[in-house]
Amino acid sequence: MKIIAEKINGTRKLVGKAIAERDAAFIQNLAKKQVEAGAHWLDVNAGTHPDREAADLKWLIDLIQGVTDVPLSLDSANPVALRAVLPAVHKTPMINSISGEAKRLEGVLPIVAEHGCEVVALCMDDKGIPATAEARLDVIRKVFTATRQAGVPDEKVYVDPLAMTIATNIQAGPIIFGAMRAIKAEFPLAHISCGLSNVSFGLPVRALINRTFLVLALDAGMDTAIIDPNDRELQAAIIAAELVLGRDKHCLRYTRSYRAGLLTDGVPTPASQKAQA
Amino acid sequence: MTNALVEAIADMREEDALALAKKQLADGTPPLEILDACREAMAVIGRRFEAGDCFVPELIMAGEMLKQISELVKPKLTEAAQAQKLGRVLIGTVEGDIHDIGKDIVTFMLDINGYEVKDLGVDVPTAQFVEAVRDFQPQVVGLSGFLTLAYDPMKATIAAMRAAGFTGQVMIGGGQIDDQIREYTGADAYGKDAMAAVALAKTWIGA
Repeated sequence: MKIIAEKINGTRKLVGKAIAERDAAFIQNLAKKQVEAGAHWLDVNAGTHPDREAADLKWLIDLIQGVTDVPLSLDSANPVALRAVLPAVHKTPMINSISGEAKRLEGVLPIVAEHGCEVVALCMDDKGIPATAEARLDVIRKVFTATRQAGVPDEKVYVDPLAMTIATNIQAGPIIFGAMRAIKAEFPLAHISCGLSNVSFGLPVRALINRTFLVLALDAGMDTAIIDPNDRELQAAIIAAELVLGRDKHCLRYTRSYRAGLLTDGVPTPASQKAQA
Repeated sequence: MTNALVEAIADMREEDALALAKKQLADGTPPLEILDACREAMAVIGRRFEAGDCFVPELIMAGEMLKQISELVKPKLTEAAQAQKLGRVLIGTVEGDIHDIGKDIVTFMLDINGYEVKDLGVDVPTAQFVEAVRDFQPQVVGLSGFLTLAYDPMKATIAAMRAAGFTGQVMIGGGQIDDQIREYTGADAYGKDAMAAVALAKTWIGA
């Protein structure tokens, strides 16, 4: 599974403050830590105000590229800001995101096509987020019609079926897993991505729910997630789940992760004890 | 008697609560007393929610219990008692934002605390708020928005309602909202959660 690292997001309080105060060290540290933890993309969201978005995004991009060459995921629906910053981006970025909304298909999709970007596609349209798995499939079919017309190959599309809050709808889990399976069956080349933050809203011990959701989503076809790569317990759950699902040849990633101390969270392994003796 | 009902609701024992309400009605307990017990139970649940000891799905479940109990009680209420609402609150998520959970919880908490709430839904254009203010005549308007994109529509909606002659209070809430955003949008106050919204309504309209 691949990870889009979520932390450089201006709608988060500390990051918003760092952007406003131009705290370069804070942003670069966040980038480095996420890369060390195995991020495949670094999501970059400048948040805040439409007037400042392009300038803030450019500032973030330059800083991050100063410390890492991991590709970026430009988290913006603003075509003006995206076009303004793209010349400064070294590696072809992912664009986060398009959807079935006319404004995004008209404004953002041409940029994706022109630059050969990978793109996150949300299962929603101008009428909002559909309630059922079937209705989401209808929306995403329209999105694929548009991406194919624009010349974007399916394998560059990361469909996010939009996980909803379980606290307000106990069927939210089955709906999203059903949607993932249906999308995978109909668009086998496309990727399936997902964010976790909504799933556990309103309930205690959210990290436990997020972890469990992610493991089940991996079985339902999700291959990419927008998460915090520095969450050790979440990372350990991913490694174990991929092992159990038969995706870890010779169990090598699992055993290597164990030896690196990634699975035991502070508990010394026999090897590390021997080394200390 | 009433205490047992308060406890049953507050402890999420749905079957017990409904059975108790039915029995009390049959035994001749005044319907308003039963509704008061519901309100008391919701205050207990609200405090537990604030303390992190009770959660969103339980608020929803409590809402369902309350709905069932009030349907049992309603036929026995006089018209005057039914109309006895504390005040009117208009609520909605502003244009460009489709988040509904926070708004729904606020609507629900205001409702069970005795306010008449009109919920315009999500992605509500400014013009619709202005029209609803004119028709519904609320004392308080609550604007919800989770996205940073919601701040400008909030500001525009408040300005438009004021220009149309609305003299009541406006509260805002959702996501990252703080006092700086409150000032930017021109709202009278902001609330961190549903209990804060109820507290604001009580200050402005009375309880």
